Amino acid sequence: MNTTALKELLYKMADDQLIMGHRSSEWIGLGPLLEEDIAFASKAQDKVGQSLALYQLLEELGEADPDTVAFSRPAAKFHNSIFTELPNEEFDFSIMRHFLFDTAEYYRFELLSDSTYEPLQQVARKFTGEIRYHILHANEWIKELGDSTEEAIARMQSALDKALPYALGVFEPSPYEQKLIDSGLFAGEQALQNIWQDKISEIIGQTALRLPAWESIEPVYGGRAGHHSEHLQPLLDEMGQVINSEPGAEW
Amino acid sequence: MDKILDPRLQRLTLINEPLPAKPELDQLPTFEVFVKSRAARPWRHEGSLHASTLEMAFVFAKEQYSRRGTCLGIWVIATHDLFVTDYADNQTDIYDQFTEAPGCSGEAWEVFHMYKRGTQHTHAGQVSAPTPQAALACARNALERPRPVLNAWVGAAGKFRKSTPEEEAMWQTTPEKLFREAIDYKTNEKIKAFKATQS
Amino acid sequence: MYGGGYLFEKTSPDLLKEEDQEKLAAFEARIDRGEKIEPHDWMPKLYRQQLIRMIEQHAHSEIIGALPEGTWITRAPGFKRKLGLMAKVQDEVGHAQLLYSAAETLGKSREQMIDDLINGRSKYSNIFNYPAYTWADSCFISWLVDAGAIVNQVANSKGSYGPYCRALERICIEESFHLKFGHHCVTYLATGTPRQRQMMQEALNRWWYPMLMFFGPPDKISAHTEILMRWKVKILSNDETRQQWLDMYVPKIWELGLTIPDDKLRKNEETGKWEFTQPDWEEFKQVINGNGPCNKERLAVRRMAEKRGEWVRRAILVKASNKKYVTPLA
Ligand SMILES: [Fe+2]
Ligand SMILES: [Fe+2]
Repeated sequence: MNTTALKELLYKMADDQLIMGHRSSEWIGLGPLLEEDIAFASKAQDKVGQSLALYQLLEELGEADPDTVAFSRPAAKFHNSIFTELPNEEFDFSIMRHFLFDTAEYYRFELLSDSTYEPLQQVARKFTGEIRYHILHANEWIKELGDSTEEAIARMQSALDKALPYALGVFEPSPYEQKLIDSGLFAGEQALQNIWQDKISEIIGQTALRLPAWESIEPVYGGRAGHHSEHLQPLLDEMGQVINSEPGAEW
Repeated sequence: MDKILDPRLQRLTLINEPLPAKPELDQLPTFEVFVKSRAARPWRHEGSLHASTLEMAFVFAKEQYSRRGTCLGIWVIATHDLFVTDYADNQTDIYDQFTEAPGCSGEAWEVFHMYKRGTQHTHAGQVSAPTPQAALACARNALERPRPVLNAWVGAAGKFRKSTPEEEAMWQTTPEKLFREAIDYKTNEKIKAFKATQS
Repeated sequence: MYGGGYLFEKTSPDLLKEEDQEKLAAFEARIDRGEKIEPHDWMPKLYRQQLIRMIEQHAHSEIIGALPEGTWITRAPGFKRKLGLMAKVQDEVGHAQLLYSAAETLGKSREQMIDDLINGRSKYSNIFNYPAYTWADSCFISWLVDAGAIVNQVANSKGSYGPYCRALERICIEESFHLKFGHHCVTYLATGTPRQRQMMQEALNRWWYPMLMFFGPPDKISAHTEILMRWKVKILSNDETRQQWLDMYVPKIWELGLTIPDDKLRKNEETGKWEFTQPDWEEFKQVINGNGPCNKERLAVRRMAEKRGEWVRRAILVKASNKKYVTPLA
């Protein structure tokens, strides 16, 4: 087993889930409708919960404990895609990001359900059920907002246009891509992206939204290698403010 | 206004002035949610919610009414698609009002009973009939009722959004979300150790 | 969460004289027998009006109550706290959802209630007009403000209105998690490092008197609510809930080595009642009338949320297959 490649995979997944969950938690109590507030809050919890499970796998591989890893690394040591760290903006961007991200996440976990690394295989199998809800939720929102009032369609279109280059950044290839594929740890970013594009096209096709030609979109890479936007470090500072105010304390 | 302490709010623009009166309130339709928590338990009414469509109501229902414990599935229906009887007086049976039994065939209807004031409606069973009233007349003989029924609801089976067997997986990890449960926050040991250092 | 100190309208006996006396007697007999009233039952106007008012205030208190703790949601220290606090605040939003539904069955729409809240025509629990300066304030709220709410909610769940009782039963189950979560958080601070301890002590100092006010003014100076008690709308008096809370939680606060900022606080063994320094009831009045430290911010936040969500609600409203509103069955 190639531990370096595996760790890289686990870190980028865990960091994606954590940052995505953290951003979603910013909506709690402030959502557009009470019912949606609750649904969104559950998604936030699920993503943070999944990140915890992945950090625990890393701990078993010799990394520090999840609280240390999640709350005290600087931005340059985070491997999440830039997509997840962007500010929430309005509900249009937040829900569009969920749709694009959750779809990738679902199929990533599905592919990993066959991973040759058994602990990861188990985590992936365990979570596909709850992530199924995440895409049910996101798809329904996209179908409704993407085909309703003029204002909503315009908002969702511009959210889609803005999100797509970053969404493609989720599939930034790992330096160990071929090793992961050869060892059967993971089918690889390209395989995932192919599935993802089909699913995204299928849902967007049911709305009044327009999807540009995939080749015309320039992916925003960098996150996987620790090159982030200006938004990540402030997010991390905020997240770690209390826990880092008294090192060694239990909270 | 004092300084805003919530960093989330510092990034947003609050509205200090009263909003202009709305020409019309954003009034969404309402839906009713039924949950089956265990195999041996009947579907039970858990509450209502606001949503646009039946599918969106289903999405909302899952997290508002089944985010803890075990759940085998949910049913959701628009409130206006439920036929609601009067409330019977104590000791009388609402079925006394539905004696005219027509042909018990046609559409399928789900029937729910309330046996006691203050309790939840539970699923009594399904019958076939041409109308909701007829469904009750048919249910009168076809469905079991251990005691007189105080109030009944009837909805066409086809008007429900019912979770599918494959969707059961969505609830698979719910019982493991212990961070939502009192049981995961034990303090005894910590307090005992603290007291030991104090004395 | 919510406490006593609900603001009831002055009850006018005239309103009762206009009612059908026979129906009124049957209604009261039903309540006396311990039976619940259900939405389609006949009920006096005063009962409907006061219930709407009470449940609506309770619902508002839940969504406004999500704000002071929400202050710390992005800064909760560590996975356990992060997940716990998210779930806790989510529950409060869920409580608002349940309670608005219960109030809706009485004939007032949720949207109207929210409109009344954000435009200052309605009240909510006073305690949420105080700020959560540190993580420890948030812990105080989770444990002790929720504990106060539980005393009240457990009592109210034995009230006479079916949909409200059903909502409260669901709520009380979730509150047991809030209480344990809050106590766990406070315990870790109080038994932690000197700085953590100090942080917790300071929060306790800030919240003690608002907490005593949470239950409402002393019975001898609060509005008469006999008829509401007879109809089981209000179950326990303000003093009763306050005493219950003191009885249950003062020993638990002391157990953690924290100091309650009142040297007069003691239990009178003869009367069985707690004696304490009265909070400043003039401050209470000021805060109720909009002059607390956070009243303006709380409403400004709700308005912002309302405004930000408007296009979303309008857009999905277009998708609604049946646009006619029907009162939910709750
Ligand atoms: Fe609570
Ligand atoms: Fe609550």
